Amino acid sequence: MRGAQRGSVPDMEALFDEHWPRAHRAAYLVIQDAALAEDIAQESFLAAIRSLDRFDRRRPFGPWLHRIVVNRAIDAARARSLRRETELTEHATGAEEHEPPDRELLAALARVPPDQRAVIVLRHLLGYTPGEIARTLDLPRGTVNSRLRRGLDTMRGEL
Amino acid sequence: MKDALERIPVPDEEPARERAHKVVLTAFAGREPVRRPSQARRVALGVGVAALAVALAVASPPGMAVVDRVREVVAVERTAPALFSLPAPGRLLVASDAGVWVVDADGRKRLLAGYREASWSPFGRFLVATGANELAALEPDGGVRWTLSRPGVRHARWGGTEVDTRIAYLSRSELRVVAGDGTGDRAVGHALAVAPAWRPGAGHVLTYVDRSNRVVTRDLVTGRVLWRVGGRGGVAALEWSGDGRRLNVRRGRRIDVLTRDGRAWTGLRAPDLAVVGSAIRPGSHAWAAALNERGRSEVLVVGEPGGRIFAGRGSVTDLAWSPDGRWLLIARPDADQWVLVRSDGGSIRSVSRIAQQFHSRSFPRLEGWCC
Repeated sequence: MRGAQRGSVPDMEALFDEHWPRAHRAAYLVIQDAALAEDIAQESFLAAIRSLDRFDRRRPFGPWLHRIVVNRAIDAARARSLRRETELTEHATGAEEHEPPDRELLAALARVPPDQRAVIVLRHLLGYTPGEIARTLDLPRGTVNSRLRRGLDTMRGEL
Repeated sequence: MKDALERIPVPDEEPARERAHKVVLTAFAGREPVRRPSQARRVALGVGVAALAVALAVASPPGMAVVDRVREVVAVERTAPALFSLPAPGRLLVASDAGVWVVDADGRKRLLAGYREASWSPFGRFLVATGANELAALEPDGGVRWTLSRPGVRHARWGGTEVDTRIAYLSRSELRVVAGDGTGDRAVGHALAVAPAWRPGAGHVLTYVDRSNRVVTRDLVTGRVLWRVGGRGGVAALEWSGDGRRLNVRRGRRIDVLTRDGRAWTGLRAPDLAVVGSAIRPGSHAWAAALNERGRSEVLVVGEPGGRIFAGRGSVTDLAWSPDGRWLLIARPDADQWVLVRSDGGSIRSVSRIAQQFHSRSFPRLEGWCC
């Protein structure tokens, strides 16, 4: 982190290599769209670079990046459901999409609202505690626990 | 649960990582170190900071922001009476009443007379120029590689890889494609009078506007339409980002940024302003937009580093990024001036008497700044 702040490209590359896979996966599990997940993870890295000089290097990079990724993914998921689609018609179906083999879990996760999905991803993929998730999403801890519980209940019902 | 989530395959995972790796490291390499602004730069930077909130709001994925007014004027630091040199490597293409001009980085200009429009080949080794009824592939020094006679030729664009290129162009309302060596000329369909855009990367994927005003992306190898989208307002320009991940669609009062598969990603809506120019910064997804309103104008950059980098009296039209993405060239026809702005807002200069320098009664048009 220190090297990247000084402008070292190899250090930035190391940060990218270490954090990209989980950031990308987290975005995909929340937004459930490969192209958007890539965009979100990429834009999050670019946002992190823009703020690199202001980052407190005593803190770990991962949680900072995950906060950006997950919040952007939640925003994008909400916007997608709200966005009027009248202007966008006739998308090719499946032109560049791939069907993941583990459909059941992904399908169950898709049935969960984005807010709850994000909490599940933060807790069970990225390994944050409910207290850390509450700080990441700027939510009361009780809300995090209830979203987690309701989300997992929905998934169990689907599975 | 953790293992199960880890096992879910993410589609396109490795290509996505490679693409992001390139974009992120390019953006990182182009990042300016933090420094204290000098007194001379404080006005410009202050305006940039004021505009940043607007630009970041525009860039946020959930939707579009609205730009509704022009504010401060950014002062030009110095004006040159002639184009003595370009501030970055590369060559400019300029179209004037006299023909097409190639401008070298050291300020040397070469006139390719008899042509009305031109654009660079993908790696800047050649250019394709159009006359009234002629398409021509040229060397930058004016040497003619080949020509093709077709009626009403315009909007030629050259795309492809280093070993296999295609040129798309309009002949009247017919969209046609010819190989980079001038062979295999054929019709693809009919299109509105908007320059088509090649999607960078493997294959030959072309985006154009069909006669129903829909943006169509077609794989020319298979002939298959990958996607098409409609939208309000006529399309003025199409531009793919260098990595082929974003398509900017400029309309009269908005810019829609679409993803590779045609979905809306973000954009800019300016109901009270005319959106007259746009350009994607090389090596990134940041883009600049030129906006006019009742005798005033501004240029916003959306993305990293973002903000309003120019505002002033009179109109602005064309925009062109330097190949290294560090400078943006802004055309100001009312002032007969080009303005060159460093992308971080740290320097701004201008060149006057542009029409005279290019032997033109009308203000010359920027056709590209390449490699």
